[in-house]
Amino acid sequence: MKFSIGIAIKNIIRRPVRTALMCIIVFILSFSALFGGYLIISLQNGLGGYRARLGADIIVVPSAAQGHGTVDNVLLQGITGNYYIPGSSLEKLEGIKGIEKKTSQFYLTSAKASCCSSRVQIIGFDPETDFTVMPWIKSLNVDMADGDIIIGADIAYPADGSLRFYGESYHVAGQLEKTGTGLDNAVFTNRSTIKKMAKSAADTIEREALKGIDPGKAVSCVLIKVKDGYDPQALADDINIYISKVRASSSASMIGSVAEGLENVSGVISIITIGMCIIAVVLIVAVFTLMINNRKKEFAVMRVAGASRKMIIYPVAAEAAFISIIGSLSGIMVSLLFVSPLSESIRSRFSLPFLQPDICTFSILVLGALIVPVLIGVLSAVISALRITGNETGLLLREDA
Amino acid sequence: MKLKAEKIGRMYFRSSRHTNFFYAIESLDFELKEGCITAVTGRSGSGKTTFINMLSGLLIPSDGRVLLDDTDIYALTDKERSSIRNRHFGIIPQGQTGLQSLTVLENVMLPATMYGKAKEKKEKAELLLEKLGIDDLREVYSNELSGGELRRMSVARALINEPEIIIADEPTGDLDADTTVLVMELLKSRAEEGASVLIVTHDKDVLPYSDIVYTMEKGTLKKP
Repeated sequence: MKFSIGIAIKNIIRRPVRTALMCIIVFILSFSALFGGYLIISLQNGLGGYRARLGADIIVVPSAAQGHGTVDNVLLQGITGNYYIPGSSLEKLEGIKGIEKKTSQFYLTSAKASCCSSRVQIIGFDPETDFTVMPWIKSLNVDMADGDIIIGADIAYPADGSLRFYGESYHVAGQLEKTGTGLDNAVFTNRSTIKKMAKSAADTIEREALKGIDPGKAVSCVLIKVKDGYDPQALADDINIYISKVRASSSASMIGSVAEGLENVSGVISIITIGMCIIAVVLIVAVFTLMINNRKKEFAVMRVAGASRKMIIYPVAAEAAFISIIGSLSGIMVSLLFVSPLSESIRSRFSLPFLQPDICTFSILVLGALIVPVLIGVLSAVISALRITGNETGLLLREDA
Repeated sequence: MKLKAEKIGRMYFRSSRHTNFFYAIESLDFELKEGCITAVTGRSGSGKTTFINMLSGLLIPSDGRVLLDDTDIYALTDKERSSIRNRHFGIIPQGQTGLQSLTVLENVMLPATMYGKAKEKKEKAELLLEKLGIDDLREVYSNELSGGELRRMSVARALINEPEIIIADEPTGDLDADTTVLVMELLKSRAEEGASVLIVTHDKDVLPYSDIVYTMEKGTLKKP
């Protein structure tokens, strides 16, 4: 074993160009597999989180809010804004048939100023009628009293357990799990608390934005659960036809468009990742095999000096393993370095939900990016060495004489 | 140690109009005499290299046996045969041979290193390099050597374990007259110490050092 390791290390250190070339090829495979795999899983997870958090069959928002601060935009991108459905439109909604449950939400965007801890979308919901937010809050096992807030996973809060909005402090009663959507940067509270916040906002810096708005009655968004036997898309179409100044979207169509966008991006990433992995695998097999083939003469010398086949195979395996491990670890480290900033850039550029894989999935991904290239490298080298040493040494010597 | 070949033959594949196989060596008996130098000469393609490779345990005979004392070396496992080759044989193969990642000294010590005897053989390796006139190249990598220097390195590597049987294929092929003398004196002294030396050569300068000379013709050995 000492001989095998010694020969392997000498071959690695004393042939730096060859070693570097082989490491780079393994690096490409490891980096592509981990980085690409991470992106694809994150996008798939993001869609899962988006689907789970939508919760309603139909979402009704003010037409004016299109592209700003609506629930889909909050979910996807965290775009914030203060837009409200006119009271007349809400009354007409009562006359639409096929609605099993409905609940309303009031959105308030906190200011990026000294009065507020951070700029977030504050979502006020009605605990009596809500069927979208309450299930997640119940899963936290917390009691939410007036003045309490529940915050998204990406919001940091100080040790005293409170956040400041418009000059007032609010107790953080719980924090939701990460969803990979804009809701990770949202704050949830009940109607009476958000009414208090809106009043403070109107009294301070949001005077213009909240002019004429009664936070007790104003509605930013209505979430609808459709009765059995009714088609959510048809019902959303009816709302769009009969009620002006609102836009209704079925969650299926929202998910559909997100899924389509996700499939496009994820498809491109998959093709690039798979393409790079295939090229890297072919290169690893070719280069490791060539490296061994070029050493036929050296193997013959070792056989002449009394080496058994094992005494040739072990150093070859050790050398291929060392090189593959160095290449793989470099690939893993570089992808870990770039995965976070590049993921964020992809997420914001394509406006797609993005949820990082959990620690278990991530560990499997990292292990795969380490083990698979090492296995391919070692197997290519060992199979090639077995093939060569399977020949009689006398014939190898004749080939090279 | 006695090295003996009993009716050995070796067949090769070669496509031709008449037959796909031919015998390079056929039904050859041979015994290597201890304590002397035996030389084999002959034209290229007469079967000399095939013959010594079979005797060295590097080429399996198609027929017959190669016996080291009473042991048929080809009846042994690869591990056993390799170990025997390491302990009892010193082989100088044809062509330029060296491990490129190793220095000259490391190359010479290779047979000892692979069986964990590097420390005890270091002094011997340095002595051999000195005797062969390449001691100043001990830290040089083998791919930086000339043909003659590589040849001398191969000779030193073959002698490092002080083998009882030395088999050399053209050991003076790349050497000038002075260096040929150095190598042959070294082989002669090993023979005088009791080793059996078998040399395949075209070099007429080698013959005066030889106790027995054979000529190989079409796979058969003849005394001139």
